[in-house]
Amino acid sequence: MLNFPRRSPTITTFLCKIIKNSYESHHITTSPTLFHCRHLSHSFPHNTTPWFSSTRLSRSGYSNELSPTQARFWASQPESTEHSTSDELTVQAILSNNWPILDENDSDWKSHATAVAQSIHLIKRRLQWKKLKVRLDMLSVQVNKADLWDDPVNAGKINREHGSLLGKVKEVNALERELIEHIEMIKLAREENDAELELESTKALLNMRRNAEEKELEALLAEEQDSCSCYIEVQAGAGGTESMDWAAMIMQMYKLWAQKRGYKVTVMEEMAGEIGIKRATIKVDGEFAFGYAKAEIGVHRLVRISPFDSNKRRHTSFAAVAVIPILGGESSRVQINESDLRIERFRSGGPGGQHANTTESAVRIIHIPTGVIATCQNERSQHSNKASAMAVLQSRLDQLEITRQAQLNAQHTQSLTDITWGSQIRSYVLHPYRMVKDLRTNYEVSDPDSVLEGDLDGFIMSYLSASLDKNEDDA
Amino acid sequence: MKLSLTNHNFSTLLNFSFINLRRPFCSSSLSLSPPNYLKPKVPIFLRPPIYSTKLSDLKKWHDWAKNVASSIGSTFVKSDNGPDSSLLCRELKWFIEDVVENHHSSLFSQMGLDDDIERVKMRVDLEELYCLWKQRIEERKPFQYIVGCEHWRDLVLSVEEGVLIPRPETEVIVDLVCDVVSKNEDLKRGVWADLGTGSGALAIGIGRVLGNGGKVIASDLSSVAVAVAAYNVERYCLQDKIELREGSWLEPLKGMEGKLAGLVSNPPYIPSKEISGLQAEVGKHEPRVALDGGADGMNALLHLCDGADLMLKSGGFFAFETNGEQQCKELVDYMKSNKSASLCNLEILADFAGIQRFVIGFRL
Repeated sequence: MLNFPRRSPTITTFLCKIIKNSYESHHITTSPTLFHCRHLSHSFPHNTTPWFSSTRLSRSGYSNELSPTQARFWASQPESTEHSTSDELTVQAILSNNWPILDENDSDWKSHATAVAQSIHLIKRRLQWKKLKVRLDMLSVQVNKADLWDDPVNAGKINREHGSLLGKVKEVNALERELIEHIEMIKLAREENDAELELESTKALLNMRRNAEEKELEALLAEEQDSCSCYIEVQAGAGGTESMDWAAMIMQMYKLWAQKRGYKVTVMEEMAGEIGIKRATIKVDGEFAFGYAKAEIGVHRLVRISPFDSNKRRHTSFAAVAVIPILGGESSRVQINESDLRIERFRSGGPGGQHANTTESAVRIIHIPTGVIATCQNERSQHSNKASAMAVLQSRLDQLEITRQAQLNAQHTQSLTDITWGSQIRSYVLHPYRMVKDLRTNYEVSDPDSVLEGDLDGFIMSYLSASLDKNEDDA
Repeated sequence: MKLSLTNHNFSTLLNFSFINLRRPFCSSSLSLSPPNYLKPKVPIFLRPPIYSTKLSDLKKWHDWAKNVASSIGSTFVKSDNGPDSSLLCRELKWFIEDVVENHHSSLFSQMGLDDDIERVKMRVDLEELYCLWKQRIEERKPFQYIVGCEHWRDLVLSVEEGVLIPRPETEVIVDLVCDVVSKNEDLKRGVWADLGTGSGALAIGIGRVLGNGGKVIASDLSSVAVAVAAYNVERYCLQDKIELREGSWLEPLKGMEGKLAGLVSNPPYIPSKEISGLQAEVGKHEPRVALDGGADGMNALLHLCDGADLMLKSGGFFAFETNGEQQCKELVDYMKSNKSASLCNLEILADFAGIQRFVIGFRL
């Protein structure tokens, strides 16, 4: 079912590649004396239903309501005419008026209106408005084709994307309409000398202005997987102790960042070095975790006076970061065949069973066709380690599939190559001067400590908006 | 000592329903009144957080405990394949998770200025923490006996001295049963037996995959084991599905001849002469009766073969854990030469470490 080309598939291989390091040295050694294998022929209570059976179901369930849905789609096409007041003031016109934007506390409706209009403009730009409308038109045609549900999987996908884009267009249209309506009310109130109505409408505009900021941010995270939870993986570069310490610092930075954002952090796997970590994977649970964290993919460089060097020399260390979305919804996920898996348990020799008392129950799962590997060791039972490793494996295979499809689909290639194959992205200098600088956006901060304590949002936001601007230019 | 079965069941049921009236689920204490019952210890993670200590004092203990663990290096590994420092440090992390109320991962990671003021609520007294960790390191007491529980599959089972700590290998038997009952509705609704249940791990694991009407009879020779298993069964609200009986191997199954849908067991299978050389955590602390399988380790396993022959109904399934390849082969040979008229589809399966561990099959 899964048909990948056999080329450097694992994210870990990617990590190694970009920091020019040997993969084997950072992985649990595959010494045959330590790992014994067994093909799994049972024991996965979940995920065993073939995907087509569930989609069949949804298809037959759907045919009953196909016509009303169709009707709804037609009826809800966004209006193409621009909103304007009775004296033909449009959102675009408000923008070109260049009214000064005053402080929120100054109760000036023109100022509020301009701020909202600017937000709407920014949101449209971030959503790549023109492209989005073209795509929506195309999808609307497809959604209404009679033979759409001959391919239920594809139909589901089209339906979802259509719904999501339509939602965005409607939301922006609603904002524009609301803005124009408030302005109309204010004008009316002035003509009628109705001070109360004027005050009320100005207040409403102020509210819009305040809410718009949140909407701007949401527009930054409009990609399909942005709202997902994710795994963050950190791997130390070459250079032993120095790099392993740096990898541990980076991992700590992400843990603190995630906690600050209110995400739940779970350590999935941690390969400790003598100092620091060789490699680690954490799970970050929460809305938009992937949308933000994807800005961190790439190599992070540290320059400092080494605390491990008795001669107090300056050292440069590298650590690589990968971020994998955890996709929701069964239908979008890659189906894994149990017979393609090899499950291994770490053991330290000996006959096992009743002979041994150990709290070590690390499990490693290998997906044979792709060579993708997932390990989990931090749970307290073998069963839970296996379940967690399976979840990691699933997400890695999902990501592989996304990458594969992206290469087929030119529309997405641009952004994905950006996030997947970027190399050195950020420099953290502790000596001779102190600065953290993002090499992609040139965003910089002169207090490395705060960054290492998880204040990453500045870097993340600037990267996200910059990459959207870049897309816009390309378009 | 053998119990009158009907009385026993009746009083058990009475007790459970009484407790259930008071506390709907997961009561942290079990007050079973019959004199036959011992009172099982409550695992640390279920005790109330009635102790309060300064964060700085807890940190001091943690640093000490970490140091002790690190000083072990690979000493235990070399002497008897015991735990190394990194494993002990992970146990320490879990220990704190169980002990501290509202535990969060950054408890010790930040340099707090308020450590002298900030207080932490704990389920165990600070002094006892020192004692317990000393027992872990100096006496090699198993971590599971220290915290009073073992995470096994998706369960957290109470364990204490006198009860075998369930092994990760054994988890697979539940997967095997799951597989069998998913294809056979008759077995799913049948009566199963777990002989030598210990903490009740297999019985509870299987009890949760059986359908309506499905039951498990779980037996053990040890009254401590029966009490602990009863406690675990109650924590997972399976009193209606799992019946505990005290007695040796086939004894508690009298009257069930030809009626069982399935029979599983992780019996003692270590050859007697190997007991003295076992890893300290096992040899010095776990009950010998749950480990020692006689001269060749096969005593109980052979009993179980007779049990499968006698107790299973036609189409019934059995799965036994063994010491490894040699015992698996001997067991299959024994069945082929002595039970070929009743036992069929014999199969040897490996655990995740690649060791041939299980013998499974069906009653003709």
